[in-house]
Amino acid sequence: MTYDWSVIWQYRAAFADGTAMTFLLAVLTMAIAVPGGIVLALLRLSRSSAIAGASTALVEFFRNLPLILLVYWAFYVMPMVIEIELSPFATGLTALALNVTAYNSETFRAGINSIRRGQTEAALALGMSRAQAMRVVVFPQAWRRVLPVLASTWVSLFKDTSLVSVIAVGELAHVAMEIRSQTFRVLEVLTAMGALYWLLGYPQAKLADWIHRKFGVTE
Amino acid sequence: MTALATDPRRPGIARPAVLVYRDVRKLYGAFVALNGVSMAVHKGEVVCLIGPSGSGKSTLLRCTNALETINGGEILFDGAALPADETAARHVRRRMGMVFQNFELFPHKTALENVAIGPLTVLRARPADAAAKAQALLDKVGLASKAASYPANLSGGQQQRVAIARALAMEPEVMLFDEPTSALDPETIGEVLSVMKILAEEGMTMVVVTHEMTFARRVADWVVVFEEGAIIEQGPPEQIFEAPRVERTRSFLSHLGWAG
Repeated sequence: MTYDWSVIWQYRAAFADGTAMTFLLAVLTMAIAVPGGIVLALLRLSRSSAIAGASTALVEFFRNLPLILLVYWAFYVMPMVIEIELSPFATGLTALALNVTAYNSETFRAGINSIRRGQTEAALALGMSRAQAMRVVVFPQAWRRVLPVLASTWVSLFKDTSLVSVIAVGELAHVAMEIRSQTFRVLEVLTAMGALYWLLGYPQAKLADWIHRKFGVTE
Repeated sequence: MTALATDPRRPGIARPAVLVYRDVRKLYGAFVALNGVSMAVHKGEVVCLIGPSGSGKSTLLRCTNALETINGGEILFDGAALPADETAARHVRRRMGMVFQNFELFPHKTALENVAIGPLTVLRARPADAAAKAQALLDKVGLASKAASYPANLSGGQQQRVAIARALAMEPEVMLFDEPTSALDPETIGEVLSVMKILAEEGMTMVVVTHEMTFARRVADWVVVFEEGAIIEQGPPEQIFEAPRVERTRSFLSHLGWAG
């Protein structure tokens, strides 16, 4: 068996583009899923049981479906159901955002719920409105507990973006598969792809660990 | 029978009533937490609520500033019934200070920020004014040097004194204390009680749920004894602690080791 690692260097521009696309997907997904998660969490904590129920249903639906199914569903079924033709990129982003928003919603809900009720009561006793109590007292404390979990979600998301390669979004995994089919250098290409994911992912995981240590709440 | 608001032994009787409770009932599901409570708190009085755990004292305080809604009867604050809706309740809460058993300081804010937060958010005070007032109040509770400390770095007694300052920053017309020393180490109880005693001497109207019988005996103008959601006896501290008229008051006090 002979190896030809030159293909990796030869396709370096494509690898770079794929890597950039992977980052872009992960960043955009989080940019949607953080505010989306906050909104769903607040709706779920609403005193109206209809609103809370609808939000819960949405979260539980998208949280408990395999991401790959969501990707296929967004690609094949969504255009039929809502009659909107999206680019593969937008389709992939939609699937990722739905999944991660549902996860983040649970993260935010748990974070908010982890703040003792007495904290809200102390804020109300000063004459604050419920909104003020949330903004001034609950959110800043919940944020410290949520941030480490969001960091872990990010680390998973960065790798999970590879699932949208099945609908031909030109991120790192898809680019690698393309190069493989053109060059037939399976081992080299997969190794390079693995190395790239690992080298990019490892520092992120370390950063997440650091955030856990820095923001982990001791009470 | 319980002594009512016309009791001539009550020094605050000539002054207007800040809080009036008429046949107040509170249910938690099938559990009757308050079963027809009637009493009054006059301006400048220190009223101590005593009685076994679960007898409804804390519930009454929580109903007083509308953290809980009542199921029957009425609570009058400054002559007006407590409002049911949240916005109106907020205006009432601004005029009452509440001190909690577990302090409930905001852990992400310094002592100074904790004290300033009420005027800043609720009264929209200027930051410099709120900070100056907060510093003065920390000075008053003997914690001027701890302004920059976070609650986690303060002892329980210090935290509770900051919590008192936080409530005072809103310039309340009445202070509600919900077992303010129950979560404290014995050595820090005294510093909190002495701050409360100073407030009482300054003429602050205070309702204090407490198990500190010595404090109630020395500082209270009026003592109300609760049992199973009802008042079993109320009167001046000399009556309650020296010559209780109800046998169950006597047995409650003797359980606490109160020799009389």
